[in-house]
Amino acid sequence: MLGARGYMDRQRRAGLFFVLPAAAYFTCVFLVPLAESVLGSFYRTQSGGATQFVGTRLYVKVLTDPTFWHTVRNTVTLLFMSVPLTAVVALAVALGLHRLVSLRWRSVWTATYFLPFSVSLVAAALVWQWIYDPVYGVLNHLLAQVGLPPFKWLQSFDLVLPSLALVNVWARLGFDTLIFLAALQAIPGEYYEAASIDGANRWQTFGRVTLPLLNPQIVMVAILEIIFNFKVFDTVYATTQGGPAGASQTVIMLLYDTAFKFFRLGDASVIAVFVFASLLLLTLLQWRLFRRQVEY
Amino acid sequence: MKNGWRHLVVVGLVAAGGVVVFFPFFWMAVTSLKTVPEIQRVPLQVAPDRWSNFDNYREVFQRQPFGRFLLNSALVASVSAVSSLLVSSLAGYGFAKFRFPGRDVLFFGIIGILMVPFQSVVVPLYLWVNRLGLLDTYAGILAPDLVSVFGVFLMRQAIEMVPTDYIEAARIDGGGELGIFWRIVLPSVAPAMATLVIIKFMWTWNELFWPLVVINSPEMKVVTLGLVGFTNMYFIEYNLVTAAAVVSILPVLVIFLLCQRWVVRAVVMSGLKG
Amino acid sequence: MRRKIWRTISIAVVALAVVMAPSAGSAQSKKLVFWTHWEQNPEFNKFYETRGKDFAQKHGYEVQVVTVPYQGYEAKYLAALMGKSGAPDIFMGMTHHWCGQYDFCDRMPADLAKVWDENLPKYMVSVGKWKGVRYGIPIEHGNFQQMYINVDLFKKAGINPDQPPKTLDEWLAAMKKLTVLDPKGEPTQVGFALRHKGHPVGITDKFLPFAHAYGARMLSPGLDKATGFANSPEMVAALQFYSDLVQKQKVASLAFPTPEDAFGQKRAAVIFRESWFFGWVKKNAPDVSFKVYALPCGKACPGAGNLFPWTNMVYKNSPNKQAAWEFMRFISNPKDDLDQHQAQGILPVWTVNLETAYVKARPDYHSTQEMLKQPVPPEYYHPKSNELATAFGEAVVAALYGKGQPKPLLDEAAAKMDRILAD
Repeated sequence: MLGARGYMDRQRRAGLFFVLPAAAYFTCVFLVPLAESVLGSFYRTQSGGATQFVGTRLYVKVLTDPTFWHTVRNTVTLLFMSVPLTAVVALAVALGLHRLVSLRWRSVWTATYFLPFSVSLVAAALVWQWIYDPVYGVLNHLLAQVGLPPFKWLQSFDLVLPSLALVNVWARLGFDTLIFLAALQAIPGEYYEAASIDGANRWQTFGRVTLPLLNPQIVMVAILEIIFNFKVFDTVYATTQGGPAGASQTVIMLLYDTAFKFFRLGDASVIAVFVFASLLLLTLLQWRLFRRQVEY
Repeated sequence: MKNGWRHLVVVGLVAAGGVVVFFPFFWMAVTSLKTVPEIQRVPLQVAPDRWSNFDNYREVFQRQPFGRFLLNSALVASVSAVSSLLVSSLAGYGFAKFRFPGRDVLFFGIIGILMVPFQSVVVPLYLWVNRLGLLDTYAGILAPDLVSVFGVFLMRQAIEMVPTDYIEAARIDGGGELGIFWRIVLPSVAPAMATLVIIKFMWTWNELFWPLVVINSPEMKVVTLGLVGFTNMYFIEYNLVTAAAVVSILPVLVIFLLCQRWVVRAVVMSGLKG
Repeated sequence: MRRKIWRTISIAVVALAVVMAPSAGSAQSKKLVFWTHWEQNPEFNKFYETRGKDFAQKHGYEVQVVTVPYQGYEAKYLAALMGKSGAPDIFMGMTHHWCGQYDFCDRMPADLAKVWDENLPKYMVSVGKWKGVRYGIPIEHGNFQQMYINVDLFKKAGINPDQPPKTLDEWLAAMKKLTVLDPKGEPTQVGFALRHKGHPVGITDKFLPFAHAYGARMLSPGLDKATGFANSPEMVAALQFYSDLVQKQKVASLAFPTPEDAFGQKRAAVIFRESWFFGWVKKNAPDVSFKVYALPCGKACPGAGNLFPWTNMVYKNSPNKQAAWEFMRFISNPKDDLDQHQAQGILPVWTVNLETAYVKARPDYHSTQEMLKQPVPPEYYHPKSNELATAFGEAVVAALYGKGQPKPLLDEAAAKMDRILAD
């Protein structure tokens, strides 16, 4: 018994020891500035630069502002369009790449899918603005070839969010593909052999072996995609700047403008707290709902 | 067991998708070979007048010390990737295979950092970096990038899949905890490690906002700042931005291909089938 | 594999050591640090360093210019100016933000302020001042919009390019003649290159000449009220006219790219842009033959108005502020003003320099003279100008896209602006 307890103690100490460097780093680099920022949400910048404690007044102000909720609506819409598409397509592409037995080709094609993720968003935004250009863009050009009318894409109130969602999917596909591919590569071949001995066909293998073994990555990708798409800033900032007339303005764009163009740091901190709280809630939900302990 | 036509269909789809994904880069590369009036020309021509027109590339390096930017970015991104790899792997292992009080809370606390918009932390973080005298230094640029939250998440998920029996067996054999980590756990998650290195390298390479705020001297600037230097409040110099972007992608691709080779070797050596 | 990992780690350790080393280039000589985000004017910026060397011979301080990207400059300035020790000594920005909203500016010495008050064109005297006190030196002249026309397109439409439209009605008639529609009724060439995308502040900036031409103003003269001004009958009429350009008259189009590109590609015959624009045209679209004229007038003339008055200011907490003001004194004279602006091809700021050979040789000389003679239009130098202009700009864009009528949109914007002002 003493041996068992000693073992558990050693376990606990070892575990803490392993996570200590990361925990210490994040406390210093993020926790402290974060705490200052949250504290800032209770202060208002006055004319002249002094700050004044106003309690929860800024929370009331921001949370009753229709513009704020408008940006939240835009962000959530964008989320629903980008996240499922990215996750599903990334999984499909990773499976496809995995089947390429020739490893050299696999490297080449993986690199190709990874390219969008590797380019700076300023350049990517440029490229996509051209693609979506109503008159000279290649997209409308292709549509014209098949006899479809041209669309206004980034300049259309209705199409701007789906257009941006597509850019997001393009940009983030490589990231998720890479994660899935790495996970697929780590699945020991024995599992597949066992399945085929049991007489499972392709779909059954996929559903009963591959998917469950990928569960940790699927959960992670879902959580990460929601987080990153909720925080989307660079792509929107570089292409539409929130236009037309706020139709593509996201929460973080509002945060940035509020902090640095309108000089209202307190309000911006309120928005940040909101973003954090929402994402935490969403993540916890996903973690509880989708995680499954897989027995090895 | 490759089913002939099915295999072809899969390959075909992957290839087609790859082409679609790659097309914007083709346009970017082509634009980088055009002169400014060519870019404005109507109707738009895809091909540049001269395929050998590298004037834009020359100007990119002449107008700004772009070579130095590449070096700075390479240094910063490399250090960030390696340090992330080390610390995140340690933490991922701790979270995946150990039980200690507050484990889940701590894990979520760390993941929670991802949920905080960086724009709201940048001013307080800058003030701290300033107080420490690290403005305009490599250490200052690296400050928020030394450990990756995503890395902790990724390694945790990957290490979770390592059969606990192996670890237990190694403990019984008397290996120290670090030794087990080094010899048993890490080699089993080589693909995840490579993924982490690539992604963290690339992430840090493409960071714009933090370097913008913390860097002042031209010789400390990174590639993204160089890129943005070809835009201003009135207009974008398409010809130079695309040339600079093409130049900035190449090192990332190199790292990517190197890491892929590492993964391949690790997978082959550890006997796991791909 | 193991050895490779050890090798990697040792390289990493060495790299970390290099990284932790302090940065090279800590100044041996004393330097005045000057921050600017005018990336598109490198010659202009370099002038400070060149003159700084002359200044160093007498006063011991050189000048180091740091160019900050425009995108994100507010965040960088804010962090640095709050942080004190990493802050610049002199910086370029808008006075009503950094000296009004915040308290980062040092008051200009009275003698220097007098020099500038006496030598600036009348519409620029208030630029750099907050509540009557001068903090900043304006650096940009000609930052008001003027009318650029494509000579060839005018000739093709049968309009004399040497006799531009003077009133809005004449202008509209000309725009109609210059618009070419294809068989489907969509414009292949428009009369007017209109800005319809981007940040709402920019949209407001481009619309204001029309508003002022209708005799409207965005805020009350005391800059404390929006309702009754931003949604006045004159403003509604102005916005109606503006949105009709797209919706009814079809002389401007939302499907066209940025106005500069449209003009450069000869798909738009007229653009309203500031004086730096002809440099852009010469470089990017050298085959476009153009002329510059004063903006057409309505009830009033648009005059020389601007939303972004850039000034040089001295940081209040700078340990070198005496030297900084000395340097400003050093270059506050007609010769330096002319040399610096001429090096970049932009308009000098001193009134006496507006009659020099350099300025007379510019394509916008006559138009600038004409517009300067007009009464100064309303200005909106308020600490919350960004937020107010954003709210206003959203109404303008919505009207352009046909997402509502001018009156209700402006009513809503005015209410929002009043809320911002009251906060």
